Amino acid sequence: MPNEFHGQVIALLPRLRVQALALTRNRAAADDLVQDAVANALAAQNSFTPGTNFAAWMHRILRNRFISTLRKQRETTDIEDVPAAAFAVSATHEDRLVLKELGAAVNRLPADQREALFMVVLQGMSYEDVAEATGCAVGTAKSRVFRARRQLQTWLTGEESAEATTEEQRIERERVSGRGARRQESTASSRGARRSGVGEHHLLA
Amino acid sequence: MDMDSSDSSKPAPPSKVTKRKGERAGSDAFDIWLQRGLHQLYDNVAAEPIPPELMRLIEEDRTRRGK
Repeated sequence: MPNEFHGQVIALLPRLRVQALALTRNRAAADDLVQDAVANALAAQNSFTPGTNFAAWMHRILRNRFISTLRKQRETTDIEDVPAAAFAVSATHEDRLVLKELGAAVNRLPADQREALFMVVLQGMSYEDVAEATGCAVGTAKSRVFRARRQLQTWLTGEESAEATTEEQRIERERVSGRGARRQESTASSRGARRSGVGEHHLLA
Repeated sequence: MDMDSSDSSKPAPPSKVTKRKGERAGSDAFDIWLQRGLHQLYDNVAAEPIPPELMRLIEEDRTRRGK
């Protein structure tokens, strides 16, 4: 039903914008990405099966669009440290400094970890939905969020959690044992995620 | 956790258990702080109005297909 489809697109726009920002780290590029993804989705709306997960379908379109743009550009050129809007709120000077530091650290995360972190923490998506939206196994989605949290903790507090190793090993074991390991991509991306500062390049793998 | 007498020669290392619990509590506290911080940073982005040209794109498609 066309009207319902368009309503769902509109309702999802705020989340798409956050996902686009997670991927591009740049406000203008994020807006362009959302616009392109919506145009693609409108053109492909007949391929959407009503009753299936619309948000995951839409997130996948946006992600694929980002990857294809990345292939053309090879890398994003302009990186904003933190959304300027964050500083419009009435935070104290110290809070603002901490937020700025957090924003910079978030931007240093590998793109797939940042994307999964935003989906879970900001948008409240389940790991199953993140996995479906990003084309990875559920274990990989969990692993990405877990690594993102612990990496940020290490960067921002200087503390390396011993729990990180055991939890990561458990997730890795689950994945290797085949529970939910749908694609080889998950292995490749988890290897890529371990490298620091890999940016978006491993999304192209 | 009960221990039999054979374990008394090898007492469990309470410092490690305590340390791990402390680390977990630290991680939980950090995760709560992180969630709050991310919302402060990015909620405004989600709350911004939809750009008019994007809205037009969707509405035009809706009108076209609705007919």
